[in-house]
Amino acid sequence: MAQRAVWLVSHEPGTPLCGTVRFSRRFPTVEKRAKVFNGTSYVPIPEDGPFLKSLLFELRLLDEDKDFMESRDSCSRINKTSVYGLKVGGEELWPVVAFLKNGIVYACVPLVEQTLSPRPALISISAISQGFELLFGIQDFLYSSQRMDTELNTKLSQLPDLLLQACPFGTVLDANLQNSLDSINFASVTHPQKQPAWKAGTYKGKPQVSISITEKVKSMQYDKQDIADTWQVVGTVTCKVPVPPILGFYQIKEEEAQLKITVNLKLHESVKNNFEFCEAHIPFYNRGPITHVEYKVSFGQLEVFREKSLLIWIIGQKFPKSMEISLSGTITFGAKSHDKQPFDHICIAGTAYLKLHFRILDYTLTGCYADQHSVQVFASGKPKISTHRKLISSDYYIWNSKAPAPVTYGSLLLWTHCDAFDFV
Amino acid sequence: MGPLSREAWAQLLGAFRASPSAFMAAPEGEDLGRDLLSDLRSEKLSEPTKVSMLALSLEYPAQLWPDAPAAEAAATSLLDTLVLLPPRPSALRRPLLLAATTALVTGGALGPTSGASLRLLPLLLGLASGGDLGRGFGPASEQRPLQATACECLRELESCQPGLLGGCLGLLRGLLGQEGPVAPVQPLSLLLALALRNTLVIQARAGASLQGLLTVRASPPGGGPWNWTLAQAGEAHLQPQAPSWPAAEEECRLSALEPSPEEARELRAAVAQLLDTSYLLTPVAQAQLLWLLGWALRGLRGQPPVLFKPQLVRLLSTAQLTLLHAVLALKAAFGEALFTAQDEALLLRRLTLAAQHPALPLPAHLFHLHCLLSFPENCPLGPAGEEAAPLLLEPQLCRGLLPHLLLDPMALLARLHLLCLLCAEDEQEEKGQAQSPCHYLQELLAGLQQRAALPGSPRALATLCFRASYLVARCLAGRHAVLTPLTHGLAQLYRARPALAPHFVDLLDRVAPELGELLRVVLRQEVVSRPGGGEALRWHLQMLARVADRDAQSATLAFLQAAAVHCSDWGLQQALLRVCRALLRAGVGGGLADLLQALARQLEDPDGRDHARLYYILLSHLSGPKLGVALGPSLAAPALTSLVAENQGFATALMVQEAPAPIRLSVGTQRAEGPVPVLQLQVEVLEPVYSLELRFRVEGHVYAPLGAVHVPCLCPGRPARPLLLPLQPRRPAPTQLDIRALYTRSTGLTCYTRLPPLPVKFADLFLPFPKPPGGASSGFFEELWDSCLPKGAESRLWCPLGPHGLEALVSRHLEPFVVVAQPPTSYHVAIRLPPDSALLLRLEAAQADGVPVVLRTDDWAVLPLAGDYLRGLSAAG
Repeated sequence: MAQRAVWLVSHEPGTPLCGTVRFSRRFPTVEKRAKVFNGTSYVPIPEDGPFLKSLLFELRLLDEDKDFMESRDSCSRINKTSVYGLKVGGEELWPVVAFLKNGIVYACVPLVEQTLSPRPALISISAISQGFELLFGIQDFLYSSQRMDTELNTKLSQLPDLLLQACPFGTVLDANLQNSLDSINFASVTHPQKQPAWKAGTYKGKPQVSISITEKVKSMQYDKQDIADTWQVVGTVTCKVPVPPILGFYQIKEEEAQLKITVNLKLHESVKNNFEFCEAHIPFYNRGPITHVEYKVSFGQLEVFREKSLLIWIIGQKFPKSMEISLSGTITFGAKSHDKQPFDHICIAGTAYLKLHFRILDYTLTGCYADQHSVQVFASGKPKISTHRKLISSDYYIWNSKAPAPVTYGSLLLWTHCDAFDFV
Repeated sequence: MGPLSREAWAQLLGAFRASPSAFMAAPEGEDLGRDLLSDLRSEKLSEPTKVSMLALSLEYPAQLWPDAPAAEAAATSLLDTLVLLPPRPSALRRPLLLAATTALVTGGALGPTSGASLRLLPLLLGLASGGDLGRGFGPASEQRPLQATACECLRELESCQPGLLGGCLGLLRGLLGQEGPVAPVQPLSLLLALALRNTLVIQARAGASLQGLLTVRASPPGGGPWNWTLAQAGEAHLQPQAPSWPAAEEECRLSALEPSPEEARELRAAVAQLLDTSYLLTPVAQAQLLWLLGWALRGLRGQPPVLFKPQLVRLLSTAQLTLLHAVLALKAAFGEALFTAQDEALLLRRLTLAAQHPALPLPAHLFHLHCLLSFPENCPLGPAGEEAAPLLLEPQLCRGLLPHLLLDPMALLARLHLLCLLCAEDEQEEKGQAQSPCHYLQELLAGLQQRAALPGSPRALATLCFRASYLVARCLAGRHAVLTPLTHGLAQLYRARPALAPHFVDLLDRVAPELGELLRVVLRQEVVSRPGGGEALRWHLQMLARVADRDAQSATLAFLQAAAVHCSDWGLQQALLRVCRALLRAGVGGGLADLLQALARQLEDPDGRDHARLYYILLSHLSGPKLGVALGPSLAAPALTSLVAENQGFATALMVQEAPAPIRLSVGTQRAEGPVPVLQLQVEVLEPVYSLELRFRVEGHVYAPLGAVHVPCLCPGRPARPLLLPLQPRRPAPTQLDIRALYTRSTGLTCYTRLPPLPVKFADLFLPFPKPPGGASSGFFEELWDSCLPKGAESRLWCPLGPHGLEALVSRHLEPFVVVAQPPTSYHVAIRLPPDSALLLRLEAAQADGVPVVLRTDDWAVLPLAGDYLRGLSAAG
């Protein structure tokens, strides 16, 4: 259930090595067990240099994408999980859990408590999920409030101490590194009652319980006979979805160097017409910069980002009484230069989308809510109960109905169930 | 040397971390371990510097203190440093405990004879139980973190030396159950769970009982010596804390343990105690506890898994990756005994949702999907170890998990695999319904192909498209409704981007059985229907080298002819010649010879011309199968020019190899007719042999040199006609033939071998005299008889007879040569011995036990041979 080593590698394309090891930690007592458990199939943990090279190659993060390389590009090398085998010194180090997020590769090698040949299924290795959780924890810690590089460096410099706390021997004690930081800072003297390990220190303020329900709504709208629109709501409680909150269509006609666009959006009458914000982003890929726009909106304002070839229609806090709004316009593009304008593999020729971004507070599509008077807490003291709800758009696309669009599953999805995260 | 400064240490540690092996190989590496230990006590260095020094020792103890004595000394020094710390708060106590533990374990020093171990263990146990160890161990505020650290150290020691804490189970239980100011729950729980599990396994293996280990609360520290009995019993077997499922049937050896009812009750109480407070643990620690306890109780008699049931209510709805994984481990361990079909369905639903929930990161989605396809079902149908869609996973539930183009490549492939599994189960596939998974799969593949076909799209998109094609071809082999459109889509992709030829070649290599033939044909058509020029020519040639064969050869040759004009540089010419080579191997003849001849004249590059000429020569001189082998993949190392490498290949293929013979030769029955003696050779082979040539050499040159015998083909088990070998004796004498065989094996290699020599017996040379006209046999014999003397010789001997008498002897051995017969007592025999000798026998007045033989020959040298022959006959009966 332990990790043999952990690394953080920053991905730096364009530099000679394409990356730097920013942090690494090895666990020699675990390594000793690995040697016994793995037997003849044991492969030692390499030093940082060779590991970096091999990791970036395997993750296709080296700058050498030019020619076909069988060892990297062969069709039979299929990875369906973030677990890799790295070629190191003629042997293969496996399993290496690794993923890239925000320019940093998070990697660790979970201990497998048996021989590696034949390879056991990932599901049977307890340390795999522990490794994932540790890496997610590190990632959360690094990016919890980080805005600048200097902050990242500060946090990286705290990592050795934090891991000494959260994972002293390679077995993760708490994946929430913020807890470990707190426990370093607040070492309390007495503990009158059993203290949960996931809550560091004692809380001095008024006890309170906050229940928050967040729903995310995804949608794909095609405005086509043969493709059904889809939508999906996932959140924290069981829910049922009758309709997507905003229905719309989007049409593009190409005339010489100009595009004529028409957008219609309609808010469903059952949906609370009170947004924190609501915007429609209309990107134009694989074209030059926008040189000229003529447009008419029935509501809201249009912002034009010429270099990015992007229109943003700011709808604001409310739809008008009619619940329907429209945008039409003609857009002219300049010559395409590959470096500046966005390239996209899907939006080719007429294939185009607009993406809605919105958030409605104190509302759920499903009507799901937590009644603060019905919450029972089995603990001493009387905590204050507060409840929150919100609906957030997530991957809410409306495709140009005059051109082909990528179909997700071509039938109606009725999500009659969802998630109830427990409060572990 | 005095202590180093802070900066010097920072520099040293940095240099070490950059490359530990290089650092340790350099002179400054030698003293690092010693300096580190001594500078830890230096008053000039700050605590953070010392912590970073200790951190290094936590990571690289084996480099700093490579053997057991050094590790023992280091641990002792670290413990001394700990004791010497002033009683004020210090950040060093924790890392010092960790470092001493690490040094002992990795140095292999932990044991009853190690002084440091005997100091560390009671110290840790004392700290863990919250005992007062005096002011030296810091202020009260540090006690609690130290207590937790001590538990962690003990857990690590127990992990590396199972059974070490077997004697402390009762004590640990007591600590966990304490009321009032309590020990930290998590470290104690994990420590107790591990020690409990290890004890169960060790006792089960030893066939011993729990011996009240769960209830004895006496603590060894201070009181008495540490109990190493269990640790030594467990030493040989490091225990997996969470052995892989479900193969770990051997874990069921726990069933050897038969706890008494009282012990069973105590065990249940201990487990229940751990589970009851498990909610206080962090999710990752809860998961560890569940793995440990699950495997501790698996197969143990009288311990129903129902103990876990109360926890499941909470755990079945967890969103924590590690906890869900631990629940799956319980599922694998206990199956129906703990999980109802409803639980199973719920778990599947949870997994399905967790595999796509936007609140979870992509790697978690992918791992959940893996768990879904490897789900430990209550009633699995398919073979174990293979990914499959679980039985209870309804297609409706999977819909959100179907792949689409907007996904990350890894997610797309993972979901594509699920889709393929659904398609494989879908029986309506042939009907081509618009809503069927197969229909959806086709649309997806088309989308991937279109994307990869975009000019200038990154290689990653092409790679993804080919990986998807590979996955589909492997999962849905034989499903023409899917594979045919896939193949045609790929052909279109090639038409749009011939530069993807290497990917196509790779795909063809990987899916040869499932898709190879179909794809090869369409791709060949795709290439040869082009005009033979343009930028894409090198790709077309690369492709053609893989897909060209005997079919459609005229179109292929026409394409090559047209292409030859455009092959101006060496690379293109080589590519062109590679296609020719492929055609040669495939056995394409006539038109190819013309093309090669033309190339041998027209190519600009001398290497290319030589190559073409070589191929032409090979084509015109070698038979088909031989060509195939000669041009087969060369095992020779790559050389600078392709011709060298290739020639090395030819050399092996064309050279005659010496090999043990798969051929057996024997002499069959004599024919005794015709003008010269003819040996009948029987040939048997152990493997197919082609173009066999047998060469003979006569020992002593007693016969004229023999011509070689050729056999086109011989197969094992198929009777071969005897080979006739005419002999031309220079004198009538037996000899033996040296035989060499040259043949081609079915692999096309030519082999040479020496067969065992074949004896030619005296009797093999016997020929009858021509029958005299008119049947005056008696007179003819008498004439011969008389003519032998005086030049020749006469001899008499007694030839003993077997039970069947003279008649049988004659009919068996001398029948063809009998001239006058008066059965059963008298025979006259005349034998012609080429080149021009005669042997005459009179066998007259036979008695029951023998016959007197009078023997005459015109060649005295024959006399001893004839004597031997007759004696041999009587011996043979």
